[in-house]
Amino acid sequence: MLEKGKISPRQAGELMFITLLATVILLVPEITADLAGHDAWLATFVGSLFGLLTVGIIAWLGLKHPGKTIYQYAESVLGKYPGKLVGLAYVWIFLHLAAMVVRQFGDFLTTSFMVLTPLSVFNISLTALAALAVIMGLEVITRMSEFIILLVVSFLLLVITLSIGNWELNQLLPFMKDGIMPVLRGAIVPAAFHGEIVVLAVLIPFLTRPKAAFLSGTAAVTASALLLTMAVVGTLAVFGPELTTSFRFPIHLFVRSINIGKVLTRFEVVVMVTWVAGVFIKISVLYYCAALGTAQVFGLSEYRSTVLPLGVLITALSVLLFEDIAELVSFLAQAWPRFSISVYFFGLPFLLLLVTVIREKIFGHSFGGQQDE
Amino acid sequence: MKNAFSILKKMLPKKGASKEEAKPKPKQKQGNTASLSARIDYVKRQLGSETKDVIIRQFSSSNNKVKFGLIFIDGMVDKEIIHDNIIRPAQSDIISNFAPKLTPDNALQLLQEHITSGGELSVVPGIDQAILMVLSGDTALLIDGEQKILIYGTRSFDRRGVEEPLTEAAVRGPREGFTETIRTNTSLLRRRIRHPDLRFESMKAGRLTGTEIILAYIHGIANERLLEEVRLRIAAIDTDSILDSGYIEEFIEDSPFSIFPQIEHTERSDKAAAAILEGRVVIIVNNSPFVLIVPTTFFQFIAASEDYYERPYIGIFLRLLRLVVLNIALMLPAIYVAVTTFHKEMLPTALLLSIAAAREGIPLPAVGEAIIMEATFEVLREAGTRLPKPVGQAVSIVGGLVIGDAAIRAGLVSPAMVIIVATTAISTFAIPAFNASIALRLLRFPLIILGAVMGLYGVIFGLLLILIHLAGLQSFGVPYLAPLVHGTARDIIGALARPPWWMALKRPRLLAVGDRTRQAKNMRPHFTPPDERELFHEDTGEK
Repeated sequence: MLEKGKISPRQAGELMFITLLATVILLVPEITADLAGHDAWLATFVGSLFGLLTVGIIAWLGLKHPGKTIYQYAESVLGKYPGKLVGLAYVWIFLHLAAMVVRQFGDFLTTSFMVLTPLSVFNISLTALAALAVIMGLEVITRMSEFIILLVVSFLLLVITLSIGNWELNQLLPFMKDGIMPVLRGAIVPAAFHGEIVVLAVLIPFLTRPKAAFLSGTAAVTASALLLTMAVVGTLAVFGPELTTSFRFPIHLFVRSINIGKVLTRFEVVVMVTWVAGVFIKISVLYYCAALGTAQVFGLSEYRSTVLPLGVLITALSVLLFEDIAELVSFLAQAWPRFSISVYFFGLPFLLLLVTVIREKIFGHSFGGQQDE
Repeated sequence: MKNAFSILKKMLPKKGASKEEAKPKPKQKQGNTASLSARIDYVKRQLGSETKDVIIRQFSSSNNKVKFGLIFIDGMVDKEIIHDNIIRPAQSDIISNFAPKLTPDNALQLLQEHITSGGELSVVPGIDQAILMVLSGDTALLIDGEQKILIYGTRSFDRRGVEEPLTEAAVRGPREGFTETIRTNTSLLRRRIRHPDLRFESMKAGRLTGTEIILAYIHGIANERLLEEVRLRIAAIDTDSILDSGYIEEFIEDSPFSIFPQIEHTERSDKAAAAILEGRVVIIVNNSPFVLIVPTTFFQFIAASEDYYERPYIGIFLRLLRLVVLNIALMLPAIYVAVTTFHKEMLPTALLLSIAAAREGIPLPAVGEAIIMEATFEVLREAGTRLPKPVGQAVSIVGGLVIGDAAIRAGLVSPAMVIIVATTAISTFAIPAFNASIALRLLRFPLIILGAVMGLYGVIFGLLLILIHLAGLQSFGVPYLAPLVHGTARDIIGALARPPWWMALKRPRLLAVGDRTRQAKNMRPHFTPPDERELFHEDTGEK
């Protein structure tokens, strides 16, 4: 085994929760408000729950192929080379995701906080930090996430609570004015973000109790969906859908709008602190999945040797993939959800599931899962 | 004791090896004959005849059949015991009826069972072991014609009394601190935990110093795997000297290059006892009043033992206060520098104006100011520590008040910066553990620089770096950040707050094995009010 560490289902849940929530909260309010208008909050919630489908498939696959990551069982299910191809595809998606997250974050910092600093400063430093965490191993990332989850959740709840004074809930009305279609259209973006729960497919073999994988994945998705919905409700209630759409990072302004007695004010730095921490965990997880995947697909004995080249790739991609933040946002709103869901978050896992079932039921092949229950 | 002997044997690799391999060598054999004179010569050669504190006294039994040689070290023994309990009974008939019956063949048995007295008595097979015991203050009785040697426990030397620990003063709680004498220290623990399962396991380290090390733990509560690990690590120490438990700490810690202390030390006997009761292992090193506690987690450093003696509210408040203070000590100057350099918009306008007004005419940027002031403070603190108390106070007055005031008046630093530095300094003192607060003090400087270069992002970057390091640290297999990581809610509450004793039902999950129950359930006091039990009678004036 390339990774010796073991994590408990609770830790895995916390890790995935931060992984889901860290970036989704930055961009989703604007995109869903654009697509679903007043019902953006509903779209967010419904879309987020799509993650549960992915969790179900992934957890089932994980139990069917005990002790194996998706890279490994793709090979045993589809055959060596097609399996390696699927594995590489997942390495790519994790790399791509990591690069996008780094980019989003760098853009967020350069547009909102430090306008004069070049983007690459943030991208390189954050990737380097994540590389260090990846080298330290999964257990270290997990322990940090346990620490950081306290920060993220408490700050977020604090910010939402403090903003209640600014809420005008009638901004959420009218409810489903144009029927259900805008809601579903808006739901696709949060769905794509919560499809990232696919990292569970890499983490399952390291769980102390793999059977709890479904539970921890479900908990992560549900908790993230709830918090995200709360944040969207807050943003909509403060700004209304039109204004929300016009902001690049509505959450940032949402936090900025908090002003209680002229003393409790300017919380946006708190937001930044939380985000750096959360985004850092997210990048570490994705980076780790990519590094482990590279090692497993190519049959290396150590994943740590892949960390440096992958880090260079992530940094380079994060700068080169998009011209500017507008392009990033439009990519995330238009192309990304369809592409990622149809291939990575639903398509390939479902294919693996299908082939597993067919080979088991029709050809009587045994994959070794379930018997040892 | 078995273990002690096996280590004693290890201590003499050369002699032991040569004894077995090259038996015919005459020179080496001299030490292990039954001849008294040969052995005394051997001792003189081994210890050096010019060493004047080694006393070798030869005498005979009253019937003149047996010759004795007594070896001890002046200043480390109780001479009265030697005289009354060993020499006199062996020499004269008056004390014991058995003395006249002494012959070289039965001398060992008679002396052991009948003639000499003294509580601590053991037999060693050879002279080399005897020499080691003598060097610790025991007395060796050599019998002519008998290879085995009697060892009397006669240790007695000048020692410091049990005093209140200077480094860990407490408002409430026991005031007994450990001393340099290992037996005093074990007795302090034994007095607190009177249970047969309290074990003191003896080991030795240091080729030249031959320092005794004792592992104290409760059998059945301390994890056997942890114990095995501690034993292994201590047995692996191959050094010439152990002068303080600090040496041991550096030899057995998990990450030797880490800036954070991974082993807690304490002078307080009650704190050590509490650690033992939690399932930790306490390492007592002879000649050091500081005992080591393993495994150690980060949150132990914000705990003081009196948290547990005072009312829970005080304990909880102080814990949380220390947690805040810890963050201040680490981050405050860095945040100040970052905010005043990069994020001025964060400050409320009034505050921003007053800071800007105060910084008017200051030649240095905030970061320069911060580093100079922090460095000055460190110098002052260091100067004050090593000086005798009255002079130290003078230094702090001159340094703190005079220089600080003059620096502000001269317009070299801004008053805001002085406030920040002073707050930080006081915060460092509020952390109970000195070694932990030093780690934070050192980390403050890179954070200030990061804050000056990249603003708050830099500070967070630095903090995440520290967090990566902390998350990777372990102390004897226990994660350093436990119980915040890997802990149950109960463990987390137990570490960050301090529940009332009747609520703290279990020992920490990561440490103790077996039955972790501390208190019986339902221990919450709910006694019937006294007036219902008629403890007090209303004074009606009749009786």
